[in-house]
Amino acid sequence: MDPRLSEEQEILQKSARDFLTEKCPKSLVREMEKDEKGYSPQLWQEVADLGWMGLVFPEKYGGAGMSFLDLAILLEEMGRACFPGPFFSTVILGGLPILDIGSDEQKEKYLPQIASGKAIFALALTEASGKYEAGAIKAKATADKNAYVINGTKLFITDAYVADYFLCIARTDAKSKGEEGITIFIVDAKSPGISRTVLKTIAMDKQCEVVFTQVKVPKENILGKLNQGWGEVQKIIERAAIAKCCEMVGGMQAVLDMTVAYVKERVQFDVPIGVFQAIQHHCVNMLVDVEGSRAVAYEAAWRISTGRPYSSEAAITKAWVSDAYYRVVTLGTQAHGGVAIIEDHDMPLYYRRAKAAELAFGDARFHRKTVARKLGFAVD
Amino acid sequence: MDFELNPEEKAFQKEIREFLDKECNENVVAEVDSMLGEGPYSKELLRKMGARKLLAPTWPVEYGGRGMGHMAETIKVDEITTHHAPFPLDAVEIGNSLLIVGNEEQKKRFLPGIAKGEIEFALGYSEPNAGSDVASVQLRSVEDGDHFILNGQKIYNTEAHFSDYHWLLTKSDPNAVKKHRGLTLFMVDLKSPGITIRPLITMAGLRTNEVFYEDVRVPKKNMVGEKNGGWAVLMSALYGGGGGGGLATGTKKVIDTLVKYVLEEKQDTDENQWIPDALADLYIRTQVGEIMGLRATALADLKVTPPYGGGGAASRLLGGDTRRLLYKTAMQILGPYGQLAKDSKWAPLNGEILREYMDAPRWTIVHGSQEIQKLNIATRGLGLPRK
Repeated sequence: MDPRLSEEQEILQKSARDFLTEKCPKSLVREMEKDEKGYSPQLWQEVADLGWMGLVFPEKYGGAGMSFLDLAILLEEMGRACFPGPFFSTVILGGLPILDIGSDEQKEKYLPQIASGKAIFALALTEASGKYEAGAIKAKATADKNAYVINGTKLFITDAYVADYFLCIARTDAKSKGEEGITIFIVDAKSPGISRTVLKTIAMDKQCEVVFTQVKVPKENILGKLNQGWGEVQKIIERAAIAKCCEMVGGMQAVLDMTVAYVKERVQFDVPIGVFQAIQHHCVNMLVDVEGSRAVAYEAAWRISTGRPYSSEAAITKAWVSDAYYRVVTLGTQAHGGVAIIEDHDMPLYYRRAKAAELAFGDARFHRKTVARKLGFAVD
Repeated sequence: MDFELNPEEKAFQKEIREFLDKECNENVVAEVDSMLGEGPYSKELLRKMGARKLLAPTWPVEYGGRGMGHMAETIKVDEITTHHAPFPLDAVEIGNSLLIVGNEEQKKRFLPGIAKGEIEFALGYSEPNAGSDVASVQLRSVEDGDHFILNGQKIYNTEAHFSDYHWLLTKSDPNAVKKHRGLTLFMVDLKSPGITIRPLITMAGLRTNEVFYEDVRVPKKNMVGEKNGGWAVLMSALYGGGGGGGLATGTKKVIDTLVKYVLEEKQDTDENQWIPDALADLYIRTQVGEIMGLRATALADLKVTPPYGGGGAASRLLGGDTRRLLYKTAMQILGPYGQLAKDSKWAPLNGEILREYMDAPRWTIVHGSQEIQKLNIATRGLGLPRK
């Protein structure tokens, strides 16, 4: 067993941290929250030029052929920096599924666009119920000669507003209900009949309502197999849950770091407040959560990287980290006192992102159900 | 990055598991579960384990070990607890310390015996007025020729009544400017005249002890480290191990047992809808603690000190909490049946849950209370200021 990063990974981590410290200060993060697009095209291109978008894609598609674990390191740094922009949607939710199950033509068409920063993807999965379950998919895609026609409303679709393409999950078998009859489509966002509305959310992360009205998609845009898409969707969700946890670990670490630094210098009763046992216990409790979350998130990422099964690990990790991030950010806020509840302090950036991340790809309760099922319980 | 045990560790795990599957029989389990300490069956098993070099895998070969890393200790502890086998915790921990601070004669005299399961040690730190503040011990050691004379009292020395030696922290210089500069540590033969051992029984029925010293003579060759250098010895014992945390096979077995009980014996009513979520939560906590502990142990084996001192101490904190929560939840699942003692009619799951429920609070207190552990992590790991 060797939990260390390799030398190359340490270099990647350091260069990512240095880059984001310089190019993605909190002032930019705040600016992008109010920005219509929600990201800086200039920073986006710089990140693409650094090779981040193509990190995990094979060289023949313009990528660097690195591993998911390498990507996890980048995600942690992005979580630390509150990186604004559609990186997660594009790479984790768009590119990886295409790499996994796309046809050669699809890979050749889309992956180089992603790697070069030219295409932005969004995953049009969740609907009105907000649930990550097959039964929640009501959007329909009806066959029409060599095409399918999609109708339905997708909700909480992060980065949909700026996306060039969607992976849209729809029912292709009108009679089906559960996991059967679901298909993944690659949809050009410029197709007639798509309307997108940005929702004002806690993390200002440009989640959207996307309405598909008679949207025509050519048959060759089916990703994977007709009517058998749910298995892949589940894999997308599980992998995204782990990736999201890596990002959350970065945020948790940032909160711990700034709290420890603050309690060493904040003086009350003529001493730094870090002297007090109550504050020390807050900090140690945070550390337990940060270390635990880091351990499970990286173990899970390592499993993906090495081709091991990761379904249980996704549930365990997302269940734990979802709640742990909340504990860390609330304790960090408590240790700071009043200053950390002021809007322009950095802490609220993390507090808001912790909630958004908790909700993404299933919250703790959702994933505990999965673990309960794996233990042998029949829960729905 | 790699999260798998290496082939040598896997082989060791297989070896000790198969050995205990075969040798840890019901007589041993009954003795261990009685919580009254090692009896003849336990001693016999320990000697058999010793003969196969299963007791001290991390020690150098010349002292009876296998020269393996901390991960082997983690594997050993996991298999011992999962099998309800006797747990020679104090002896091995003391041996770890002797390896660091003992002289060559002492190492040769004690380590092979401990590794063979022939010498048992009991920790002798706590006193009625020295718990977390262990440097406040009052048991006096006074130099007298080539001996020291010992007078005073120890408490909560759980293994004293079946051990051969006492690892005894004493006050040797009452005038030391700082109290932790006036301590000396001895290995005392527990058969020495003047030692009286009295039982103290915990609410779980676990036997621990008070140990009284009255003009007990200990030879100087049994002094560990320097005179008045006891604090350094103590620190090497408390922080020398590094590993030991991690695998939680035993806890997972208990969770599986509870799942089985709920599915097969408990009526599935609406009132019980909370149970799958609660047991899933426990399983998740256990898994998080396991990976966190294994990660820390592996880093210790690689001689890496991660930022904040890493997750070893943190995983022990989580583990203590999880244990308490596990038995609290288990008792809630059992409802009124949970209160039935082992020998009672209607007692579910052999009454084991009740015993563990009664014992669970001990685990956030022994070997450094959670508060002291947090103090250590805060000041040593996070670098927070001391008073």
